[in-house]
Amino acid sequence: MSNLKVNIAGVDFKNPIIPASGTFGFGREYNEFYDISELGGFSTKGLTLLERDGNANPRIAESPMGMLNSVGLQNPGVEYFIENYLPWLKTIDTRIIANVAGSTVDDYISICDKVSIDGVDMVELNISCPNVKAGGAALGIDPKNVEMITRAVRDTCRKPLMIKLTPNVANIADNARAAEAGGADAISLINTVGGMAVNYKTRRPVLANVMGGMSGSAIKPVALKMVWQCYNAVNIPIVGLGGITSYTDVLEFMICGASAVQVGAANIYDPMASYNIVKDLQRYVDENNIDINELVGTLKVD
Amino acid sequence: MMKDRVVSVLSNTKVADGIFEMVVHSEDFPELIVGGQFIHIALPSLAHPLRRPFCIANFDMSAKTITVEYAVVGEGTEILSRVENGTELKALFPLGNGFSLDADYKTIALVGGGMGVAVLPAIPTTWQDKDYHSFLGFATASKAVLVDELSKSGKVYIATDDGSLGEKGFVTSLLASKLAMIKPDAILCCGPEIMYKSLARELEGMDIPVFISLERRMGCGVGACLVCNCKVKTPKGDKYLRACVDGPVFPMKEVIL
Repeated sequence: MSNLKVNIAGVDFKNPIIPASGTFGFGREYNEFYDISELGGFSTKGLTLLERDGNANPRIAESPMGMLNSVGLQNPGVEYFIENYLPWLKTIDTRIIANVAGSTVDDYISICDKVSIDGVDMVELNISCPNVKAGGAALGIDPKNVEMITRAVRDTCRKPLMIKLTPNVANIADNARAAEAGGADAISLINTVGGMAVNYKTRRPVLANVMGGMSGSAIKPVALKMVWQCYNAVNIPIVGLGGITSYTDVLEFMICGASAVQVGAANIYDPMASYNIVKDLQRYVDENNIDINELVGTLKVD
Repeated sequence: MMKDRVVSVLSNTKVADGIFEMVVHSEDFPELIVGGQFIHIALPSLAHPLRRPFCIANFDMSAKTITVEYAVVGEGTEILSRVENGTELKALFPLGNGFSLDADYKTIALVGGGMGVAVLPAIPTTWQDKDYHSFLGFATASKAVLVDELSKSGKVYIATDDGSLGEKGFVTSLLASKLAMIKPDAILCCGPEIMYKSLARELEGMDIPVFISLERRMGCGVGACLVCNCKVKTPKGDKYLRACVDGPVFPMKEVIL
């Protein structure tokens, strides 16, 4: 019988489509376009202990079939989120993944404690933000640090813990194993690929922050490869992301080993993107009478 | 509910050196548009996935059309300039706050610099019972647009950098020289940020409300992605607000230029 329900680390999602952190705010803007309870869930804008202003403008540049951003974790702070956004999110029948970041190990321990509350279904640890020194990138590169930070937050994080991995590393499979060894319940990958845009006329970078993170269709092959590498390296579930804009992209990621996916840049191009992918995917499983879970990791390489 | 619409291109013609005017139509038209709002248009190119925000230069509620004026400045606008009549494009509109005019503002000075003049014609279309005076600044005569259009709503004063049209010099100086005569109740302005700085200097010590429209590279256009940040003074201190939903129009005294 056709089915879109998936389970990630004990959390039931009505479908495997999850808008990615930083592309969906706290859900309100897109709920103006459609009922966001149609989604499996969504990952919140990256939260830090204290409010952050983020980077100077410009923060966005286009690249062929993709984009670069350097927002720099602008967010109102975790307390503001809990007081002002979470009460409304509790009324929405979709899974809420709190994406959290920090500057120090203690920050991560503390923020994981704060978001382990009613209304939050899962915590996504952002140790791979490329755009701020405080984004934990230093913690996300060396596998030893990935294991250390995962283990450090494990006790205070009383929700299923998903570690978001950066592709800007030597061997992402090592980082996936490190997250698993540290006690992660799931991993999500890939975060943005480091990149730049340059204006040859002015000889200046387009982004005020000079460097940024690349997303969109252009990075999909990189993401597919890394999901496949990690699928062969760990036993915990993988949430795949990187350039997903259509239901066929979703199928490709799941075949490479993703148990669910996140949709990022596509939301920025098209406010209906995540909703349309859910509807297209539903049609696909209905027409083919398949359970989406059957696809996971079925890539034929012989 | 907000919605993504499809518009069809009625015309797309060159109106000045490197500047095009595009008129689009949609049967599915919003109930309200105000001057200062913008339209976020998807290009017919998979390689260029980000939408392009353009101010709504003018609109016609009965004909269900939007007019956009744009300069060809990069790959996106170059692609747009080659779009043929009848092409269908995805577009989000109207977005942004737009201008807001108090009932007791009777005399309005409209000030535009370069492509910033494109914001102005929709203002008299929105508020028809005001007395308008337009001040337009261009680099040179060949870049001048919307002069005739704005002449329909009141007197137009022009300044160019090289003196090839109107007076030679800055449009802000031209405005300053006419303030005593016109006595505007409010000044609505769109142009490069250097023009706002100049305007702020010219108006120092005067108590005329000034509203400016800010331009930013934009992502989603609906407030979620936080890339179009503008630094604005708020009761909680200087904050980054979003040009797409908190703006693009702000009182000039609140914007950190």
